[in-house]
Amino acid sequence: MSESLKIGNTTFSLQIGDIADLEVDSFVFCAQNDLKLGSGFGTAITIRGGPSIQKELNDLAPIKTTEVVISSAGEMKSNYIIHAVGPMFMEEDTEGKLKKTVENILKKADEANISQVAFPAMCCGFYGVPLELSADITISTIAEYLKGQTAIKEISLWLLDTREYEPFQARFAALGQTVKEAL
Amino acid sequence: MNNNVRSYKAQKVLERMGKKLNRQMVGSLAACVHCGMCTDACHYVLANPGDVTYAPAYKADKIRKLFKRHFDWTGRVIPWWVSAKSVYTDDELEELKDTVFGKCTNCRRCSINCPMGVDYATFNRMARGLLVSVGVMPEGVAVVSKDQWEIGNQMGVLKEDYVDTLEWLSEEMEAEHSDPKATIPIDKMDADIVYSINPREVKYDPRTISDAALIFYAAGEDWTMPSEGWDMTNFGLFSGDDDLGGAVAKRLYDKVTELRGKTLVISECGHGYRSTRCEGPNWAKMNVDFVMESSVDTMLRYIKEGRIKVDKSKNTTPVTFHDSCNNARSCGLTEEPRELLNLVCSDFREMYPNRAENYCCTGGGGAMSMSEYTPQRLKSAKIKADQLKATGAEIVVTSCHNCVDGLADLIKHYKLGMQVTQLVNLVANALVIEKKVAVPVGEVPAEAEALAGRKILVIDDEPDIVTFISAILEDNGATVFKAYSGDEAIAIAQKEKPDMMTLDISMPGKSGIEVFEELRSLDDLKSIPVCIITGKPELRKLIYDRQVLPPEGYLDKPITEEGLLVNVRKILELVHEK
Repeated sequence: MSESLKIGNTTFSLQIGDIADLEVDSFVFCAQNDLKLGSGFGTAITIRGGPSIQKELNDLAPIKTTEVVISSAGEMKSNYIIHAVGPMFMEEDTEGKLKKTVENILKKADEANISQVAFPAMCCGFYGVPLELSADITISTIAEYLKGQTAIKEISLWLLDTREYEPFQARFAALGQTVKEAL
Repeated sequence: MNNNVRSYKAQKVLERMGKKLNRQMVGSLAACVHCGMCTDACHYVLANPGDVTYAPAYKADKIRKLFKRHFDWTGRVIPWWVSAKSVYTDDELEELKDTVFGKCTNCRRCSINCPMGVDYATFNRMARGLLVSVGVMPEGVAVVSKDQWEIGNQMGVLKEDYVDTLEWLSEEMEAEHSDPKATIPIDKMDADIVYSINPREVKYDPRTISDAALIFYAAGEDWTMPSEGWDMTNFGLFSGDDDLGGAVAKRLYDKVTELRGKTLVISECGHGYRSTRCEGPNWAKMNVDFVMESSVDTMLRYIKEGRIKVDKSKNTTPVTFHDSCNNARSCGLTEEPRELLNLVCSDFREMYPNRAENYCCTGGGGAMSMSEYTPQRLKSAKIKADQLKATGAEIVVTSCHNCVDGLADLIKHYKLGMQVTQLVNLVANALVIEKKVAVPVGEVPAEAEALAGRKILVIDDEPDIVTFISAILEDNGATVFKAYSGDEAIAIAQKEKPDMMTLDISMPGKSGIEVFEELRSLDDLKSIPVCIITGKPELRKLIYDRQVLPPEGYLDKPITEEGLLVNVRKILELVHEK
């Protein structure tokens, strides 16, 4: 299950799979302010990447909500991990903060000359942002960003299962229609 | 008091509460007449006489007052009479957290004693969910929930570790029975049975998987285990997060559908059975068109249909049975396990009270993950300990992994000296597999000799891990000493002078790092080799930073039997060479 489209020089795609097990230049990890890797994808990063990643993060912590830092990916298949603190647990201005977080991820990736960025369903699941809202803001913010100058060649959204995939697919299809009409 | 200024989180909790109120919830919130019939039903109350804060009606009123104040007409008209009150501050939410997570295991024993039909556990779970939605929850709940959301199982077992474990169990079984059919098929399409498990089985108790596999093999079953969507547990039941409940259940149902499995068999786990079979379709908003059953039903059916033969004389130690609250009180699974027990054990002794009246193991409702409430949990476990002791049994059997942990912990705390096991282990032990069993018998002693005569001290604060490691070492001939804390470890090491030690780094009180440093500084112990075992690889550096000789071995959790044995043998060989 996957689909993709081209915006400018960048390929934008939707996939199902384990974001913490990709051969990709970078992937995004929804971090907490103290940058402790903790459980969930943090478990996967710690086990697959080794202890150097947390050590690197300890020197960068803490960061504020919407801020982003980049670390190496240790022994993982990726080169970098983009740690981004998005809105969580129904906090105020979830929409505005999520948009800002996604923008900061893309800016930071460009600054670091990163060619591929893999996103999870931003702040969904444990952090409680509804899938539809996350899909809407993440996809529209990425599409908006790609209208400008960027060296990012590939952006992918990695969803865990069909439950996550379907709302993102609906929003992605709408974007595909817009892109087609604009041509 | 607070000038009616409500915190953002408190406001969100109240807004969300309105959306959670269905008929069942409102009936329970409105119906209490404070008669007190529930009081003596609760194990927390019985273990804390005189402390009213444990009484179910008192705990329920902490939630009920919000309902009365904001959603019930009585609270608007006569708030002083019906004790209607609101919530304003984050501190009040923290207090509520300590009640709904720390003073109740959602066991529902109070519900069956209520003449008004109040189901306190149902709205206690709702309150948990409301708090979780604003990020107010015990740390352990956050850790486990995030693992299950993002990795797909409660214990953060990665796919490669899960598949590796199944493969070595499969290879072991095939070699033992010299039969290419004696395997664990993964992702087999169109199988009659898809077998789902608790991640605890992969991480700490792989024998329950191999025992189940042996039973399926002996029955000639067409079965499989999924490579993904295999976790039948559901922390959404404990955390009150219906979204998590739905996501987890859907992953499992989707996988069975993808594999075109005919029956989903759920291994022995109370909350897993309730979540998967009873609650999951509602949370996931799905129609499930395959059969779902407990492995207890499956094993019983195999015996009744003559597909497997068992010999109860193989299980002669006196056993009793502990009913899991979710199996017995919420799902009515009470007679099948007893029927099965009587077929595979020769000395079954009933526990009283039992079935739906049974007391909680005290580890239910996610309590085992909330270490901040451990002292009050263990105090309340006195009731269960008395029940166990009165049976005179040496083994307590239960069809629930959570209960295995809860019972093992209280048995250790109250020094009952009992063992905990599950029906799958007893059925596998009682199996009569003609001819095939006879082949590898000659090989077993050779395998068991590998560590014969060796004394090994196993140090870990988690009883599950101690049991797991000890079982592997003992099976290979070692004499094992067990220590659950740093001080205990040093005392045992000085007394027994083991040939080597395995040491967990993260332990409450004296950490493994401190213990390691102390061991290395004591003249009589410093030459004993140590194998560090930890679930936190990032702590490895801390050990090597010490100004003492480094450890002789190092292992990351989850541990595999193979990995443990290779390391232990290597360490012992090296020391022998020196």
